[in-house]
Amino acid sequence: MHPTSEALITLKNVSRIFPGAAGPFSALSDVNLTIDRGEFAVVVGQSGSGKSTLLGLLSGIDRPSTGEVVVGGTAVHTLSEREMSPWRGKAVGIVFQFFQLLPTLTAAENVMLPMDFCDTWKSGERRSRALALLERLGVADQADKFPPKLSGGQQQRVAIARALANAPALLLADEPTGNLDSKTSEAILLLFQDLVRDGQTVVMVTHEQSARHLASRTITLCDGRVVAND
Amino acid sequence: MIRPRVRKVLRDVWHHKARTLLVVLAIAIGIVGAGAVLNTWSLLRRVTREGYLATNPASATIRTDSIDAALLERVRRLPGIRDFQARRTVYGRAMVGGTWRTAVLFAADDFAGTTIGALQPVSGAWPPADGSLVVETSSVEYAAAVVGEPILVQVGEAEPQSLEVTGITRDAGLAPGWMEHVVYGFVTPATLARLGAPASLDLLQLTVEDRTLEWEAVRRIAYDAKALVERSGRRVQNVDVPEPGEHIHAAQLNSLLFTQGAFGVLALLLSGFLVINLVTAMLAGQVREIGVMKAIGARGGQLAAMYLGLALVLGLVACLIALPAAAVLGRWYAGFTATLLNFDTTGYSIPGWALAVQLGVGALLPVAAAAVPVVRGARIPVSMALRDFGIEGEGGDGPRILRRIGGVTRPLLLSIRNAFRRRQRMGLTLLTLATGGAVYLGALNLRSSIRNSVGYMFGEVLRYDLSVGFARSYSAARIEAAIGAVPGVAAVEAWNGVRAAAARADGVLGNSFPLGGIPAASRMVAFPVDSGRWLTSADSNALVVNRSLRQGEPEAALGAELTLVIDGKPSRWTVVGIVTSGPGATAFATREVVARATGDSLMDRAMIQAEIAEPGAQAELSRRLRGALEAQGFEVGSSQLMAESRRVLEDHLLLVAGFLMIMSQAMIVVGGLGLASTMSLSVLERTREIGVLRAIGARHGAILTMVQAEGLVISIASWALAIPLSIPMSVILGRTFGRIMMPVRITTLVPESSGMLAWLGVVVLVSLVACAWPAYRATRVTTAAALAYE
Repeated sequence: MHPTSEALITLKNVSRIFPGAAGPFSALSDVNLTIDRGEFAVVVGQSGSGKSTLLGLLSGIDRPSTGEVVVGGTAVHTLSEREMSPWRGKAVGIVFQFFQLLPTLTAAENVMLPMDFCDTWKSGERRSRALALLERLGVADQADKFPPKLSGGQQQRVAIARALANAPALLLADEPTGNLDSKTSEAILLLFQDLVRDGQTVVMVTHEQSARHLASRTITLCDGRVVAND
Repeated sequence: MIRPRVRKVLRDVWHHKARTLLVVLAIAIGIVGAGAVLNTWSLLRRVTREGYLATNPASATIRTDSIDAALLERVRRLPGIRDFQARRTVYGRAMVGGTWRTAVLFAADDFAGTTIGALQPVSGAWPPADGSLVVETSSVEYAAAVVGEPILVQVGEAEPQSLEVTGITRDAGLAPGWMEHVVYGFVTPATLARLGAPASLDLLQLTVEDRTLEWEAVRRIAYDAKALVERSGRRVQNVDVPEPGEHIHAAQLNSLLFTQGAFGVLALLLSGFLVINLVTAMLAGQVREIGVMKAIGARGGQLAAMYLGLALVLGLVACLIALPAAAVLGRWYAGFTATLLNFDTTGYSIPGWALAVQLGVGALLPVAAAAVPVVRGARIPVSMALRDFGIEGEGGDGPRILRRIGGVTRPLLLSIRNAFRRRQRMGLTLLTLATGGAVYLGALNLRSSIRNSVGYMFGEVLRYDLSVGFARSYSAARIEAAIGAVPGVAAVEAWNGVRAAAARADGVLGNSFPLGGIPAASRMVAFPVDSGRWLTSADSNALVVNRSLRQGEPEAALGAELTLVIDGKPSRWTVVGIVTSGPGATAFATREVVARATGDSLMDRAMIQAEIAEPGAQAELSRRLRGALEAQGFEVGSSQLMAESRRVLEDHLLLVAGFLMIMSQAMIVVGGLGLASTMSLSVLERTREIGVLRAIGARHGAILTMVQAEGLVISIASWALAIPLSIPMSVILGRTFGRIMMPVRITTLVPESSGMLAWLGVVVLVSLVACAWPAYRATRVTTAAALAYE
């Protein structure tokens, strides 16, 4: 499936300034950006360029100092902390570099957890949905294992399944291959490509050069500013 | 189906078994401490109220001449009176282990039909048969009584009679015999006659129809009965009206339990601190997971419910352990205290409300303790939670003074500074340990103060070594000459005494009290004078009252003139001094003044100082004295060795201090658990730092020493804090104990060096044990794992 012209993400004049011991530090400056539904956008840049800050703003984990962040028609920057969690649980799926699976839950239970928190599926259907997602990601046979028993690649697949649990419009991935070997990294990137083909919007922060070839758009950040968007 | 979030919480609990166990133990110890006191209090309240009222205690007692059926019939017709009965009380002596001891014999026509002050058979036969004796249970030890064996009993000049002890019974209305140094016994009028005592009954006991009446109203009814008795031509010696429905020792009991209750609550609060620390520790390890859960849609409320629900479950589990233990401990202590008050807890259960309170507090305490850290954890922004690296981000090195510490190794300096990094947590741990220490040192001080006070009482206040009571009265000169001639006697004084009652402004008499007649320049007693002065030989109607009499008798103020009724005759007195002399209401005058008031110049007792302080020698002197006196025709009623009285009193008082020591031990355990949790948390939070230390060359031993040193810094700081804290603790304990049991001079404020060193040893040991596991865990951290620690 190809991107539609309907914007899923709109950033208007977004800046993020962090206070610091040596004075305020501007992580993002006057960023304007639009990402359409179905896009596979890759965000690249050097360390400290503002990639993770951008992802944090898109997920509502962080808030802009100025400007507007609109995702799926929701002005994220206006949501209260109480409104933020349920919105994020339903609208956004997040994949972390270090997987961040809860070690005391099995793979299937990790995937069921967002459904549990957001009450999105009937409780009787949650496990079968979790198993279906794990099947889709090729780790159904690991469903009842605890994360420490899984390889890095398997853990990241489970983490992606968890991110998809509530069928979010947007999948955000923060260096999802940063902790994996090259072969596994490639497999994970192809997985994201498959998801995009199925209509999923993905925004991924990465250092992987190969990701640029799979993505529909590459956004390059430097010192908190968008220097390339193609 | 169990929700994943619930599964997560349960598996976390299982995963951190040691920490979970600590939380459960902390709550359980708090509940055991507070619950035991609550159980004791509620059970004793039930026993003393229900049990005491169940005996149908006398609302009033009138002492008069012989009571016959015609008088009882007239009393029956009086309005407001429900039950009435006649008894006789005879003072005599009983031979115990070769020594005569004071005996009080109660006689009634029909004990089986007793309606007032119902007696509770304990063992053997009841009621007593002619020629036999039933001993009151609180006197059994003092009388060395054994069912089936005889006791030699003598009344007055009559020939001593051997009475078989046929049973043991309880009279809940009597002050305990062991405490009063009296052998209480129940006999028939026929036995009294055999002992040579008058068999007629002289005590009229009555109860009022309306049990809800106040003391004043009961007294009015009692005085109607007194007037009726006097109209019959009998002389009334005194009228006693106790506080309605209140056991004679109820106030002391309430004070005692209030103090111990305060310690129970303290133990509970300290365990609450520990729970706060432990839950904080639990959440500290979960911050990143909380961030992840919030990132995938968890709301703060959902997270809070997860962890507060966990706290509730842990509280309930703790209750499962604590409630039975608190019940056993409470029953045991209630049984002990009840024995002191001459009650029996058998057949009484701990009230359901007391158990419900413990369950409620046990379940909700961890929820309340966890509320702050849980809410704080649930509110933590996702970005911050995902960046969590324990306390790595926290800078600073503690209080400014720590920056100036020199002359110590870097690792030790790091340990000292680390101890102060989490000041709130360190403060709670410090406070828990220091409070335990303060109670421990305070209880040690109280024990020393009790010993010193008992020593003071039996050395400085009561300066005689033994006393002799005569069955008849003799002149002071004859008594003093006879006793003074016995080898081994250093000094002797003959005293007299009588019971008196103060006539109040409305013409009604207060409760009777003993009035002791003492030589003005007595060398046998030196009561501390609270206000006014002691007696002088120039006094004509001077009265010195003790603090208890002053509190219970409004007329007996310093400088007040009051009328005392002695043997039915009024006389005017002036209160010249108030002294401290023990819990019972007592007054003193010179023996000459008492003799004038009674119209009898003879003395009936003697106080003796021995030349040798050794108790065995004094017992031998007591036997020789009795022989010498009887050889000269004296009728000796009783004799008492003060060393024995001192031992009995000290033993019972120290049992109470012992309970406080047990409470302090519980607090030490709570403190140790707190330290263990603090150090576990410290290690957990600094996993990355430990990895760095290992990377730059720290060995196992160095890491182990650092963790142990950090624990020792906190423990030793708590020890130093406990010492000044123990001073107000000692004052509070001493004052409270003084109000309840006996006036205790707070002789020890600063703990003895041995006590301080013992406590230092305890905290060091507690610290080493508490830190052993965290230190071991720290040594298991590998550099690679620590630096990758998430």
